Amino acid sequence: MIEILQQIINGMAIGGVYVLIALGLTTVFGILGIAHFAHGSVSMFGGYLTFFLMTSQGLPLAVAIIIALATGFVLGMLIELLAYRPVRGASHINAFIVALGLTMMVEGLNLQFFGHEQVVIPTDFNRVFDIGGVTIPELRLYVILAAALLIAAMTIFVEKTKTGQAIRAVAENRDAAILMGVNVNTIPLVVFAISTMLGVCAGIMVGALFAIAPGIGEGLVIKGFAVLILGGLGSIPGAVIGGLVLGITEALAAGFLSSAYKDVIAFVVMITVLLVRPQGLMGTAR
Amino acid sequence: MKLVTITTAFALAGNAAFAAEKTLDIGVSDALTGGAAVYGLPQANAVQMAAEEINAAGGINVGDDSYMLNVIAYDDQANPTEASNAVRKLLDRDGVKFILGFCCSGATGAVASFIEYEDAVMLVGNAAERSITTREIPNLTRTRPPADYTGAAAGTFVAEKGHERVAVLGALDVGFYASYVDAFEKELNAAGGEIISRESFGLTDRDMTPQLTKIREQNPDAILVAGYVEPAAFIYRQAVELGIDVPRYGFTSGSEEQFLRVANSEQMEGVWDLRPTELTLLSASENGIAYHANYSERFGIAPSPSSPYAYDQTYALKDAIEAAGTVEDTEAVAAALRDLPVPDEVVMQYLPVDGKMFDQNGQAYTANGAFQWQDGNWVFVQELPSDAAAYSDFLSTID
Repeated sequence: MIEILQQIINGMAIGGVYVLIALGLTTVFGILGIAHFAHGSVSMFGGYLTFFLMTSQGLPLAVAIIIALATGFVLGMLIELLAYRPVRGASHINAFIVALGLTMMVEGLNLQFFGHEQVVIPTDFNRVFDIGGVTIPELRLYVILAAALLIAAMTIFVEKTKTGQAIRAVAENRDAAILMGVNVNTIPLVVFAISTMLGVCAGIMVGALFAIAPGIGEGLVIKGFAVLILGGLGSIPGAVIGGLVLGITEALAAGFLSSAYKDVIAFVVMITVLLVRPQGLMGTAR
Repeated sequence: MKLVTITTAFALAGNAAFAAEKTLDIGVSDALTGGAAVYGLPQANAVQMAAEEINAAGGINVGDDSYMLNVIAYDDQANPTEASNAVRKLLDRDGVKFILGFCCSGATGAVASFIEYEDAVMLVGNAAERSITTREIPNLTRTRPPADYTGAAAGTFVAEKGHERVAVLGALDVGFYASYVDAFEKELNAAGGEIISRESFGLTDRDMTPQLTKIREQNPDAILVAGYVEPAAFIYRQAVELGIDVPRYGFTSGSEEQFLRVANSEQMEGVWDLRPTELTLLSASENGIAYHANYSERFGIAPSPSSPYAYDQTYALKDAIEAAGTVEDTEAVAAALRDLPVPDEVVMQYLPVDGKMFDQNGQAYTANGAFQWQDGNWVFVQELPSDAAAYSDFLSTID
């Protein structure tokens, strides 16, 4: 029993990262219908930037995170403004190609600015908590708590604020939203800024828990889309449940079956869910 | 200003008139990027540094000619296809006859499969898969001993420590790690111990908590970790985070700096690395201390323990070319390598077989050693069983 609980705790940390990645993707996809493939590379940029600010500039972790988040906020708006807005009215394939090009560009920039070496964001969170035989490393605990906090903040923002209501209105019916006076030029900017900040958070978590290196962003965005499909396209609760299901399934699969097949098993679970609920766990049938 | 220009021009012309040196291109195929760059990049640096030292000392002397070395290095990313392409480029486009580097077994094995038919000499460094030197390829030598030579010694050592139930967590899809563990298990079993579980991980995996959780439930006496530095460092860190407090043994050959990028010194305290007696500053020879200082100054970073395999290759090649008296006849140079005594300049402490650096298989041997992490450093604790002559005979019996 303890082993199962331990594996669930193990999976929750990486599941939390998947949730943040998927939340960023799902808001962009839900509102704009764009498969933002560059999201993984952008989140790696956030992780690299935090590492750079800490190691080269000597900034404390909290300050580095704040600067990285602010940079992510601006970067998100720039991505929307310069990359996606010009193809907004065009065929979906145009946005698709832009997304692929942007991925390569951000990956290239990461390599250019931060090099090809794997980096690990240093933290002082080395304590280990033991609760009835289940151990929770301090860093993982903070990752889980931070992910939970961000999910809650995101939910409140979307459900309770005026901007959040405007975002939901655009997602549901863009034309009706225009008639109701929603500024549909501002909403995508906000969506991309928030999405990129969430991605930066995920990148920082990956960098502290594991490592940041070229190529990791691609793997992360694939998992993010898997979560998106599993939870239901455009659904925030779906992204949360999907991310946790994927993370915990991976941990259980690696622990009880084989680490070599953990990705396969996680995707088998995803396909099985889709066979039963094609719209995903929390998606709406159309 | 004009005077300076004229003086410089005369100086340059003077140099050109008296310089009788020629240039000899040598190639390096190694992992300069990607996960294996922790081994490959230091090797490429080591070859470059050795070449610069040789050039500064007058180059390689062949008859009346002296050759200055020019290193052409390509990134093979430890990938068999990339390595084959890199070596073909060196052979066909750059006209290189001497190729060094080769940190990783998959890529090295791919090149070894065709190098016998080429007018070239291949010098393998850190790649530890046994099969690389079992085929007695006449134009191939290797400075690092095979993994199972070390694995057997490690098994004996762990058994002598009194551990009977050992859990293994390794990159077991990689041949040389699997052969290390197999040889380890054979000796452990002979002493009455057993491997109670074999968990594996991929070379790019960084979260090994699921496997460690499973191992924790099995209550092993000790853990053996066999894999690249970075995943191994995560395993050591995550084992502490999961409250696993049994002795941790490993086969990684990482430097202090490489481990400290992932885990802190406290998390590493007490970890053993059972490997060939590679470069460790606290136990290094005079050559080793000089190598460490020069490398650190030249590249601004400490060398990895396994990087001298490539440095030593370069001096072995120099001596072999000078002994053969040719840079053209690769067969003669390859034969001279097989006959070579251990060069004075090498960093690793080789165990010659019949007085020669390389045996009939082209294989060199160092002693095996037990290193332990103590207060932020790898400390050499003791030598492990290392019968080079017996292993050499055994290697000759394998097809």
